[in-house]
Amino acid sequence: MRIGEIVETTSTGFVAESFTLNRPPPLGSLVAVSLPAQDMEIYAVVAYGQTVGLDPGRRAVRRSTEIVFDEAIYHEHPELKHILRTEFGAVLVGYLAEGQVWQHLPPQPPPLHFSVQTVQTGELQRFTDHLLYFRLLLSYNGPVSPLQVLAANVREVYRQRGSDRAWLDAAAREIATLLKNDHEALLTVLYAIDPGEASAIAERRGQL
Amino acid sequence: MSNKRLGVVVDGAFNSGLTVRLDPGVTTEQLRIGSFVVVEGQRNRYFSLISDIHLKATDPRLLSDPPRATSPFIARTLSGTSTYATVEVRPMLMLEKPDESDPRALLEMRRGPQPVKTIPMHFAELREATELDFATVFGKEGGVYFAMGTPLTMDIPICLNLAHFVERSDGIFGQSGTGKSFLARLVICGVIKSKVAVNLIFDMHDEYAFDKQTEDGRWVKGLRQIFGPQVLIYSLDEELARRSGRNADVTLKIGLNQIEEADVILLSEELNLRQTAEATIGLLRDHFRGQWLLKLLQMTQEELEEWCKNSGAHAGAASSLQRNLKRLQRQEYIVEEAPFAALDDMIESLDRGKHVILQFGRHNSVLDYLLVSNLVTRRVRQRYEEKTRRYEESKDPKDKPRPLMITIEEAHKFLNPAVARQTTFGIIAREMRKYNVTLLVIDQRPSSIDPEVMSQLGTRITGKLTEERDIDAVLTGVSNRNALRGALESLDTRQEVLIMGHAVPMPISLRTRQYDEAFYQAMGAPEAFQGPEIGIRDLFGED
Repeated sequence: MRIGEIVETTSTGFVAESFTLNRPPPLGSLVAVSLPAQDMEIYAVVAYGQTVGLDPGRRAVRRSTEIVFDEAIYHEHPELKHILRTEFGAVLVGYLAEGQVWQHLPPQPPPLHFSVQTVQTGELQRFTDHLLYFRLLLSYNGPVSPLQVLAANVREVYRQRGSDRAWLDAAAREIATLLKNDHEALLTVLYAIDPGEASAIAERRGQL
Repeated sequence: MSNKRLGVVVDGAFNSGLTVRLDPGVTTEQLRIGSFVVVEGQRNRYFSLISDIHLKATDPRLLSDPPRATSPFIARTLSGTSTYATVEVRPMLMLEKPDESDPRALLEMRRGPQPVKTIPMHFAELREATELDFATVFGKEGGVYFAMGTPLTMDIPICLNLAHFVERSDGIFGQSGTGKSFLARLVICGVIKSKVAVNLIFDMHDEYAFDKQTEDGRWVKGLRQIFGPQVLIYSLDEELARRSGRNADVTLKIGLNQIEEADVILLSEELNLRQTAEATIGLLRDHFRGQWLLKLLQMTQEELEEWCKNSGAHAGAASSLQRNLKRLQRQEYIVEEAPFAALDDMIESLDRGKHVILQFGRHNSVLDYLLVSNLVTRRVRQRYEEKTRRYEESKDPKDKPRPLMITIEEAHKFLNPAVARQTTFGIIAREMRKYNVTLLVIDQRPSSIDPEVMSQLGTRITGKLTEERDIDAVLTGVSNRNALRGALESLDTRQEVLIMGHAVPMPISLRTRQYDEAFYQAMGAPEAFQGPEIGIRDLFGED
């Protein structure tokens, strides 16, 4: 499904405008850019999202009243859909070429104005079976800390893979290896991806 | 049996061994100090021992501030990644891997494992040893390979090369209650079964011949019950020799004429002899020759004084020597004169392939044990020297003396540094290998044995030892002492032993095999063998 259009692109990532206002793809989710001419699919992880006015110099002003607020504002002011835009940034994590998944930067940045698409579950599973792309995520520099982007990606993939506990454990160990020299950073990520007691209890029950 | 991978080599030196980082998911608790593992190098396979285990963390901050109230998920993630373990591994033997592309190399490669000459490179894999590895190193059961037990973590027989075992003197050590006499019985059974040597056992506490109740209340069979008439029983105690169902074949008497100066000197402590005794005995011998002891004991007070005047001996010393030696005469098994024929018959039996157990019965004081064992062994030694000389002259294989293994308990009494130079046992331990006589030394205090004797022991089988000096003594002259010290200290009190030396290619900790019905069967015990009645032919040969 097409969800946005690339409006800024570099070798390490791109910025796309979302087709739906205020609803960029979830932080950490895997998105793809299809290049049929090269028979290539470029994968990226959503690293931040923002909604701003079309005119970068002007800040939005308050629109709510006593009785019109939240969702109702957009019904009251239909022009908002044309003067606001939602953007999201994504960091490149690999590509599919010649039928094989590569988890390093693609040779060229994705072309401007190309569509950004969601990734089907099967494709996502195939890509996330390998965890080398964590390294690219950690080297990313943006408004959101790379640790939080990584954690968001792990949570998102874990959910989309149907709470695949084995994958989560493997991912956690991979992260522990990558962050071996920074214990605090490691704990930051681990706390953020911990599926929590409920899942641990469920798992224990499953073993019994 | 899966080739379970444990980790990879990350560091090491030839002199200090290899450091292996354990894989995540492998816990230190599944490994034991001293256990047998394999490192797969590129060209060689290294059979190794685990000598130490370390816990490590990638970030030192983790150690100073361990995570509090951690969820199981985080704890599981950290273990094996941020916190991990390394093991120190000592390569002991290596085996060249065949070059599979070259069929000739494949044939040549049937050489067994060699001592290590190098170490593998980084990232060589450490794995658990498989049945095949154990068989490659320790040999398959059968022939001279006698299964002593199983490794601590696996159920595979580990074999002792008995041909090597009887080539040199050996030791069985362990603090009291670790089953030394049980171990000795096991090894002796193996020696009897494989016919690599004949045994002469000085059985101080009547443990070897007949069945005996163990500490856990089971009755275990004696050698006579397992091997029947192959085992002859000599006894010093006439009463014991007559017990029904457990009677001895021969009652042995010792004559005063057979007791020599050296026997008496060995008993100095037991008999309360003074330092002058040696000189007095020397004079007595000069005068009466072989009859000296008998004459001394027969002399009246006046005769003794008269003799002292003539020979220049000190009267006080002589009479106190006489008083002290009277104690010998009072022993039931001592007679005035006994022919050597009984002892020589015993030696002939040994020569015909019989095994001899000498029981002490009620005469089991240290005095009896020292006197008789030393005296008998001296005779054995003389005869073996004669035989060896005859064989060297004739070079006839028929004349070749059968290898003999003499088992002694409380060995430190014969082999402590003060007497080891004089007793026959000391001589055997140091040099008798060339006459085909070796010792099986059983003791709980290896530190009281002369270090020179200890260093001559070929194979050492040791149960748990806690005393620092005893551990040092057992490890005298062994390489990689630190690795083995850890293994020795971590042994269980019961049924676990460390074997090292000549009869095994590398040291190994074992759980000893069960001494039960299945074992008797394996040794070929006749099931219904009851009566220890022995035909005249068994005692005296075919003629």
